[in-house]
Amino acid sequence: MEKFKQIPIVRKIGFNRIVLVVVMILMYIFFCVGTKGNFLGYERILSALNYAYFLGFLALGVTFVIATGGIDFSIGPVMFCAALVSGYCLTSFGVPIVAALIISVLVGFLFGCFNGYLVAYWNVPPFIVSMAGMNIAKGLASVFTKTQSVSWPQLAQGGWFRYLVKVGNIPVGFIIFIVFSIICAIILNQTKAGRYILSLGSNKEAVRLSGVDIKKWEMLAYIICGTLVGIAAIFFVGAYTTVQPGYGDQYNNEAIAGCVMGGTSMAGGLASIGGTVIGVLIIALLQEGILALGFTKDYQLIITGIIVVVAVYADVVARRRKN
Amino acid sequence: MGEVILTMKDIDKSFPGVHALDHVNFEVRKGEVHALMGENGAGKSTLMKVLTGIYTKDSGSIEYEGREIEFKGAREAQDAGVVIVHQELNMLGHLTVAQNIFIGREFKKGIKIDDKKMNEEAAKLFERLHIDIDPTATMSDLTVGKQQMCEIAKAISHDAKVIIFDEPSAALTEAEIEELFKIIRDLREQQLGIVYISHRMDEIKVITDRVTVMRDGGYVGTLITADCTKDDIINMMVGRVIYEDPKTQSMVAKDAPVVLKVEHLNAGRMVQDVSFELRKGEILGFSGLMGAGRTETARAIFGADPKQSGDIYINGEKVEINSPQDAVKNGIGYLSEDRKRFGIVVQKTVAENSTMATMENFMKGLFINKRKERAAAQDYVDQLATKTPSVEQLVVNLSGGNQQKVVIAKWLVRDCDILIFDEPTRGIDVGAKNEIYKLMNRLASEGKSIIMISSEMTEILRMSDRIVVMCEGKKTGEIDISEATQENIMNMATREIG
Repeated sequence: MEKFKQIPIVRKIGFNRIVLVVVMILMYIFFCVGTKGNFLGYERILSALNYAYFLGFLALGVTFVIATGGIDFSIGPVMFCAALVSGYCLTSFGVPIVAALIISVLVGFLFGCFNGYLVAYWNVPPFIVSMAGMNIAKGLASVFTKTQSVSWPQLAQGGWFRYLVKVGNIPVGFIIFIVFSIICAIILNQTKAGRYILSLGSNKEAVRLSGVDIKKWEMLAYIICGTLVGIAAIFFVGAYTTVQPGYGDQYNNEAIAGCVMGGTSMAGGLASIGGTVIGVLIIALLQEGILALGFTKDYQLIITGIIVVVAVYADVVARRRKN
Repeated sequence: MGEVILTMKDIDKSFPGVHALDHVNFEVRKGEVHALMGENGAGKSTLMKVLTGIYTKDSGSIEYEGREIEFKGAREAQDAGVVIVHQELNMLGHLTVAQNIFIGREFKKGIKIDDKKMNEEAAKLFERLHIDIDPTATMSDLTVGKQQMCEIAKAISHDAKVIIFDEPSAALTEAEIEELFKIIRDLREQQLGIVYISHRMDEIKVITDRVTVMRDGGYVGTLITADCTKDDIINMMVGRVIYEDPKTQSMVAKDAPVVLKVEHLNAGRMVQDVSFELRKGEILGFSGLMGAGRTETARAIFGADPKQSGDIYINGEKVEINSPQDAVKNGIGYLSEDRKRFGIVVQKTVAENSTMATMENFMKGLFINKRKERAAAQDYVDQLATKTPSVEQLVVNLSGGNQQKVVIAKWLVRDCDILIFDEPTRGIDVGAKNEIYKLMNRLASEGKSIIMISSEMTEILRMSDRIVVMCEGKKTGEIDISEATQENIMNMATREIG
């Protein structure tokens, strides 16, 4: 095993990520066997991908926040808030679809600014800030929509935005998601912002004493997160069209699970976009597989919960070994 | 010296890419103080961590009190009577002294913790050690020196048979070191085996009976301290002779311009009305006892902590410094005394740490120019002789002295004109120390100005052109190197001010 880890290509990709891909393939085989081949179809994969897109954008976003050593429990509800507010503008005020999409991103962006400002400049713990952000997002969405669910238009009614998810059988959403993932990976690893976000996640005081404006960069992590959450909302309605106020919490855990499973450390300072992408795909596959096996959604909640604990525990053990 | 209580034989330990211990032998007898010496990264700490079960050895054997043992962790070692007093303090700041000492084995009254009994027991311990510390004081209110004393008291309270002191004197003042030696002699009297890790040659001669020297993870040899000279030991450690000469006169030109002027600086209790000047090319030593307010002064100048009042002039112009950002913009770099907390980002590489303060010079448009970054880092790895397999190595994997060099590199890459070095050689071995001294002299001759805070008198006398002395938050003296002696500095450092 140690020898395998030392092979250059394995080191390049990362042993953990290879393990994750193997896990994903095994899961797929398991579900195929478990459903007596029902799971094999392309349909199923497309359906799982629908789930992966919005979850993926949430996870990409929260990766930046976790990299700073923070946490954001508002991503799911903020995504719903963005989808509801923009959808309501679309259906009730008649704004064009393009404008609605921009509003969605804007809502996410503003929540990111709010969370980031409180965390970075007022030193309110991220846990508290995002809990508050979650409640505000839920309440705001309910007030705005008068507690009615919002249905974005179908393709036949001119809902062209759904092409962002798929055109015929081509998973356009997957391509867009991968492109965004690559952009995020570049931001995290090749730019000043990413460098400082990771560094301050590892040792904030040392970065501050290097003369770096840590508040600015910490806030930026939350803004990047918020913006990606706004984009996630577009892919949520693109896949499912209907949004109900008062929900969205469960996606927090799923996105964070995908993130941590992929090797991003809850303690901050270590993050992997590639890992997050694979982690999210596993969560989405799991969700689809459990439904295909004939279980209800509730089981998926249980399993995601367990995954979060196991993934975080693995992170803790790995760090302990390093020390 | 009594019978052998502890024998480590052929201990071997490897980490990925590093052969940390190469068949090392080490033994401790009852009633002896056994020095363990070697440069940074020689493997002293690793050996002690293997002994106390923090690391598991790859091969070799450990015999303690006549039977082979392998502790599974510090706790098990402690229970068996092998206790380590760490170089880095492991105290919980918000608890009291007594609570810290008895942490994990609190006295109970029913299900309640019996604080009264703990305070009494702690007081007894301090009495035995002749230390004046209030057991009910909050730990974070104590000076580093006092905290270290508590650490020792804690170790002793575990009915120890072997005590390992890992650079106990690094943070102590001369007077406190005397106290410490008294304690150690006392423990030796009581037939305990004592391992003493230190870089201070003078102490080794004074307090230890035998010396074991390690180099690059290997065992070099064991000597009777009384039969060998300082140079013998140093030669074993580094394989070369090092001369330590104090500076006799200032190297700064009489007409050198003032680059930094601080006037009536006030920042909390620890910085009261401090004024001084720093000239171009000067090494200005800041001497004083632990808790004299030197670090606080440095942090206030650097903008790391808020200040209440006072003016700072750089090259004659008044500047506003309210954050480290402002300070760095004005060409000031600060090397903290606590590099783990304030200096390095452990999960980042040597290269990434080196450019931390200078990112903007390593950008190509929006992106980081990693090639340029690596080249700059490599340049300073070579210049400072930093021991690292590559600049891509995570800083967490380097030894203390090499981490320090990475922090220094950070400010050299920045090309700061004013450098504040706060205890630049704390916990660093002789070889690396000399490299840092050489480097500071070179920087000064290149026209950089350095404020050097140091608690080591020899360091102050060897490096400074001029010396500022502080005591209890106030500046109590200033003296040219040509007139400075240990005695007059000490005098100023302990001066009472009405």
